Amino acid sequence: MSAKQLTRDALLCAIALTIFMIEAQIPALVPIPGVKLGLANIVTVFAIFVYGSKDALAILLVRVVLGSIFSGQITTILYSLAGGLLCFCVVVLIRKILTERQIWVASVVGAIFHNIGQVLVAMLITSTWRLVVYLPILMVSGILAGLFTGLCAQFLYGKLKNLRQF
Amino acid sequence: MKSTKFWTILIGALLLVCVVASAGIYMMRGTGKIANIYQDGELIRSIHLETVTNPFSFSVSAANGGSNLIQVMPGKICIAEADCPDQVCVEMGWIEDGVLPIVCLPHKLVIEISDGGQAIDSAVQ
Repeated sequence: MSAKQLTRDALLCAIALTIFMIEAQIPALVPIPGVKLGLANIVTVFAIFVYGSKDALAILLVRVVLGSIFSGQITTILYSLAGGLLCFCVVVLIRKILTERQIWVASVVGAIFHNIGQVLVAMLITSTWRLVVYLPILMVSGILAGLFTGLCAQFLYGKLKNLRQF
Repeated sequence: MKSTKFWTILIGALLLVCVVASAGIYMMRGTGKIANIYQDGELIRSIHLETVTNPFSFSVSAANGGSNLIQVMPGKICIAEADCPDQVCVEMGWIEDGVLPIVCLPHKLVIEISDGGQAIDSAVQ
């Protein structure tokens, strides 16, 4: 990894972490655990499409670990990682069949799998299958949030493409 | 490469299915008033919420040393305090119907309301 690459990834990670920490301060709109915008994923989706999966994975992992420590939720890091990694793998796979105008689709699909992963982990941990009722509700919120962050990444890509600086 | 229209329709259809399913879950909520408290998948206590006349609270300790303070009022139940950092269960507030169970992942605790008649120790404290 070259110094330029390292600096760029560190910068993107700092941006993602800042967005993550600010979002964590916003009170939840609805009292349903798991419903959130996930704005930091604008950076993840952008990095997957522009720099490739390796750089994006490094940014994601550092952001999740530091984000959990900074927000005092280190105990739940395993659950965040399980959802995050499942979502990441699916986005990397689906990226291959998407054009650069369909970045937002990857974000929506990622959000859906993030929710599936979350509910699965919660069911496994508590051994209570009944938690499956959360899935459709979380998926509605996930699709909408994924669409929003995906469109942000799409516009970001469109703007930055002309700069030719990445 | 699929067209953008294909993805739009696919995602739109999935969203519609989920909205309908969510609406279904809210419509079909039971009329039951029995709060079942599960720890690690095992039922540890059932409370018949309608027979509760005086509010009371009790604490449940988890295997990893943590604990949750559960509060019961006539017809509703909540987790009032938890000694985990994420406080997700506390933020869910009171539940009084069978739609979404309260979950505390760090302590493997689930509280759900159903009409099922498991071993009921109504308002025993």
